[in-house]
Amino acid sequence: MEHIIIIGGGGAGAALAHDLTLRGFEVSLFEKGELTSGTTGRHHGLLHSGARYAVHDRAAAVECIEENHILRTIAPQALEQNDGLFVALSRDDEEYGKSLLDACRSSGIDAKRLSAAEARALEPALTPDIRGALQVSDATMDAWRLAMYFFATARRNGAALHPFCEVQGIDIRAGRVTGVEVCDYKTGKTKTVKGDMVINAAGAWAGRVAALAGIDVPIQPGPGVLVAVEGRVTNMVINRMHPAGEGDIIVPQRGLSILGTSLWLADDPEDISPPKEHVDRITALCARMVPAVGEAVVRSVWSAARPLIRDAEASSPQQISRTFECYDHKVIHDVEGIVSLLGGKATTVRAMAEKTADLICRKTGREVSCRTRTTPLIPWRSFFSDEPGDESSRSAP
Amino acid sequence: MKRKIRLKIRRHRPGSKTKPRFETFSLTIDEDSSVLDALEMILAEQDPTLMFRRSCHHSSCGTCGMIINGEERLACITRVSQFEERTITLEPLSGFPLLGDLAVDMVPFHEDIDERWDYLRDAEDLGGTKLPEGIERFERFENCIECGCCVSVCPVTGRDKPFMGPAVLAALNRELQKVEGEKIQPLLDQAGSERGERLCNRTLACSRVCPTAVYPARHIMELRVRLRGKEAGAGEEEEEEE
Repeated sequence: MEHIIIIGGGGAGAALAHDLTLRGFEVSLFEKGELTSGTTGRHHGLLHSGARYAVHDRAAAVECIEENHILRTIAPQALEQNDGLFVALSRDDEEYGKSLLDACRSSGIDAKRLSAAEARALEPALTPDIRGALQVSDATMDAWRLAMYFFATARRNGAALHPFCEVQGIDIRAGRVTGVEVCDYKTGKTKTVKGDMVINAAGAWAGRVAALAGIDVPIQPGPGVLVAVEGRVTNMVINRMHPAGEGDIIVPQRGLSILGTSLWLADDPEDISPPKEHVDRITALCARMVPAVGEAVVRSVWSAARPLIRDAEASSPQQISRTFECYDHKVIHDVEGIVSLLGGKATTVRAMAEKTADLICRKTGREVSCRTRTTPLIPWRSFFSDEPGDESSRSAP
Repeated sequence: MKRKIRLKIRRHRPGSKTKPRFETFSLTIDEDSSVLDALEMILAEQDPTLMFRRSCHHSSCGTCGMIINGEERLACITRVSQFEERTITLEPLSGFPLLGDLAVDMVPFHEDIDERWDYLRDAEDLGGTKLPEGIERFERFENCIECGCCVSVCPVTGRDKPFMGPAVLAALNRELQKVEGEKIQPLLDQAGSERGERLCNRTLACSRVCPTAVYPARHIMELRVRLRGKEAGAGEEEEEEE
């Protein structure tokens, strides 16, 4: 079978390596740092029900609820499955709630209306000021362990995974990609790896990777600030019942509560230091929903760059769709053998991989259907307890 | 407020002819920054070859454990301003094979942990009077993030005795609290084996450095009580086994 080279060891690369090995392809994956050291690991840990997108981004909402159901069955130990609430604090929120309920139902998201008293019986830390709530199937994910489930399974099925190996060049001969130039930071050596197709799964770094092939892709890093505070004050995910905005989500995880988030547009996915005013604003806004988080000790502050697809039409960054696209650069740039996987989010990595692998099958003339919807993943711990195969031999032509 | 600091980092590549050495990087960074932020700044601006592990940036993944100024900590929740001195010394965790610089191979950590051990537990009671429709009980992940800090600091693991270490025993004790029937004895056998609880010398260093309040030493104590009770109360069974 064809040798597919994946650039980027985040959630998308992990899910793609899994999908392609199940379909019988030979797979090598290169990540310049540790696996999931880019956007995936910095993710706030929300497994979306899709409700956050239901009103303004139906495509993303439908993707989320489908993937939500799938991940619960294939990787249960990477999730705290406690559901989520959207809480209304104002009359405007209540108005938005009406369209939210309709939009959820038409997107296939099970949403249940709760009175303020009912919501506070579930989560007593909610402010007494809430006016009502919707219960949806949000959950908490361990962003690292979920990705490692995919990596563990892909590797057991034969994928060669290469962390700390940066792709520094993409080789093109006569309009066709032939392989990549890789620097292995573990040895300091650079080598050529030949492959039949290269997949750019570098997330917010996809622009940099595509540039190695002389291609411009419409990716826009969209960083946001996250604040982890001490203390688990709710068991359910708490969202503000309003149009996607700032400081409107609290994700409990272990003994912490993760407050999010803000959004600005950046040019460099690595120049994303959290602005102090964002931290204060997010904390204050989240404390309006759950007052205890405003008083809690801050454990960590960081930011994560969302891989947004550039959209000149969007009225604000929050309105940019969170769905994903596969770009076949043969069609757009007349370069054969390279595909970019752009956009998307942690909840939908499996679907992103399915669509990309379908495209790879079409391009290679293989008729193999996707099996990742129902194949249980192997627990992340086996990534470390498995004897890895001879990975160096796989990356040689 | 900005702060001028120096990171003194142990550099080494296994298999290379160059001996391990310390390299010092100077940088100016926001005083609220973590040691991990400082490492990422060096990676982006000074040395793209620097190796360290990182992912979540808030102490839930467990990848950025390292020895910071002589003690096992997570780089992501250690602030550069929490030390009086301006030079912060970074070394990889001990007792693990080195991948390069500050990155170690976590394979030995998982050697004695069964991948099927349950990583979820009942969530603490937050005072709610009802459960949401469709939810039987609130669950959450275990506290242990498998970072390796306790294994690195333990004075017994990695020395001459093949101690399975504090993280395995803590995970084993948590699993014991969740299983029933015939699943109990194999776990007790593992805890009571020649590589188990008996090798712990009660230094309590594991509990001191644990970044997520697992307190492995307490789990080892619970196992010890449980194993001794069994020995005292089941002499005949033991004779039968022999």
